[in-house]
Amino acid sequence: MLTKRQNLLETIRGGNPDRFVNQYEAFDCDPRSPFGMIMGDPIAAASPRVGRGEPPAKDGWGVTRAWPANVPGAFPVHDEAHKVLKDITQWEKIVKAPRLDYPQSEWDKFKPQIDAIDRSDVFVTLFGAPGIFEQLHYLMGMDDCLIAFYEEPEAMKDLIAYVTDWKLRYAKLVCDNFAPEVIFQHDDWGSHRSSLLSPDMFEEFFLEPYKKWYGYYKQRGVQLIVHHNDAYSANLVPFMIEMKIDIWQGCVTTNKVSDLIRKYGGKISFMGDIDNGLVDRENWTQELVERHVRRACEENGKHYFIPCITQGGKGAVYDGVYDAISREIDKMSKEMFR
Amino acid sequence: MAKIDEVKEQVIIGKTKIVPGLVQEALDEGSAAKDILQAMIDGMKVVGDRFSAGEIYVPEMLIAAKAMAKGVEVLKPLLSTEASTSLGTCVIGTVEGDLHDIGKNLVNMMIGSAGFDMVDIGVDQTPAKFIEAIKSNKNVKLVACSALLTTTLPALKKTVDAIRESGLQGFKIIVGGAPVTPKFAEEIGADAYAPDAGSAAEKAKAIIAA
Ligand code: B12
Repeated sequence: MLTKRQNLLETIRGGNPDRFVNQYEAFDCDPRSPFGMIMGDPIAAASPRVGRGEPPAKDGWGVTRAWPANVPGAFPVHDEAHKVLKDITQWEKIVKAPRLDYPQSEWDKFKPQIDAIDRSDVFVTLFGAPGIFEQLHYLMGMDDCLIAFYEEPEAMKDLIAYVTDWKLRYAKLVCDNFAPEVIFQHDDWGSHRSSLLSPDMFEEFFLEPYKKWYGYYKQRGVQLIVHHNDAYSANLVPFMIEMKIDIWQGCVTTNKVSDLIRKYGGKISFMGDIDNGLVDRENWTQELVERHVRRACEENGKHYFIPCITQGGKGAVYDGVYDAISREIDKMSKEMFR
Repeated sequence: MAKIDEVKEQVIIGKTKIVPGLVQEALDEGSAAKDILQAMIDGMKVVGDRFSAGEIYVPEMLIAAKAMAKGVEVLKPLLSTEASTSLGTCVIGTVEGDLHDIGKNLVNMMIGSAGFDMVDIGVDQTPAKFIEAIKSNKNVKLVACSALLTTTLPALKKTVDAIRESGLQGFKIIVGGAPVTPKFAEEIGADAYAPDAGSAAEKAKAIIAA
């Protein structure tokens, strides 16, 4: 039997996997972290993530994050009192990136958990969020952000360059200290039925910054870039390939994943096709989960596809759903890999 | 091209800075305010159709709506004196526990530009708040509820139930949002569902005419 990492590499290289990769198993490397990936470093520690039901708090960029107990996750607050950047042309005066200059001793504190990872079985996987686009709308609010691409394109490009530069310096520190093998990076680029930006606009603003950022990781020995985007973005796949994304995690069913595999398999792999919206419901049942997992596995096949819940980390909103999916994937492996 | 046609074209491509001036020029040319408004409504219909067809995206819709809003500002003082062409009032909001509003805002703009008077009660609204808005506004013909989270689908059902149980009448209920399906909409007793903002406006007109 192949190890989890071998099996993943066989799957995305069109080789001989001996079973389906089961959701996040190959990236599940840090038992102390909520999503099982490495989430701690001095910069993240200074920008606390609010917990469920805790009072809202400001992150390192000054963005207020809230997580009321009755909501599935934390989010940025954008009423007039809390929006950080109200006029994009003023960004240079207002936006201040978090400091990156921490002493070595601060980084060393996080190393024991990385040394503890069994690199023969799973990948040393670093979790990253938000992405470049998300950072913009966290600062500005989504409506202002989307309008600014038209009304103040030059200011937007400058702000994007500023954010990207900060991310590159952060990436250097992370590579120097943790030598990650996989980067799991969030940036949602669409709604359920369309990309938020047209492909032309996406290319104009985001292709080069992402090529720089992900290209840097590759240059520093990162083996795989896994990009989370649980939205419709089938029209952006050519750019994802150019950015050197190896696996698009979060591809929801509206993307027609099996068509994408036929078209792009070998250049990029697809992880998802089991939408939270379809299975992660209050009244879910094992039969419901079975139906969706079966469809995903049968339609997409053994290569360039990893069946997975579409949300950006292991788990689900409703108790039991994630494990139910895992059980059904194991069953499909027995059936399809004889 | 007549100025009034130019207004329509420039709304479609979202020229926020040009539209107000063009509206004034159309008025100077002798077009009636309500006809200019109708031209902009027609323009937004084109925008909605292109969005539904996947030819344009959210930013293009936002700037078109913004351009129309700027044009309407110029017309406002004139429109109040002319006879109203309203299809009735539409109360719109996102249900309790849900803070997503981009989709709702687009639906608001499209239903509004189809000729409804919009009352937007905002995000995270309890069933009681929807009912209050229906009671306190005149001529409510449509109630639109948005939900973007699987965890707020139950709140959507609660909202529809509460509105029905209130005994209030004279309006239809339309629901939508990414996790909402036509089947779910039917199960919870809504009158209509639409997958996007362009078709929401069409559905809205159709169900109140029915
Ligand atoms: C942008 C976004 C946000 C922004 C919202 C900003 C804002 N002002 O609205 C922020 C960052 C604040 C946010 C927060 C959260 N989000 Co969010 N978000 C999104 C995202 C990426 C896009 C949604 C969007 O704006 N789309 C653009 C609009 C135009 O499309 P739309 O909303 O679908 O609306 C269209 C149609 O649905 C329809 N429609 C909508 N409403 C109505 C109403 C009627 C009457 C009709 C007829 C039609 C209709 O017409 C619209 C226009 O065509 C989606 C991803 C996705 N796949 O949808 C996640 C998503 C909806 N969010 C999600 C989650 C989990 C959250 C959070 C819990 C945080 C988190 N951990 O991610 C919080 C929750 C906060 C809360 N209490 O609501 C999940 C939901 C999963 C689930 N279990 O259901 C999604 C699917 C992504 C994900 N899996 O992580 N989010």
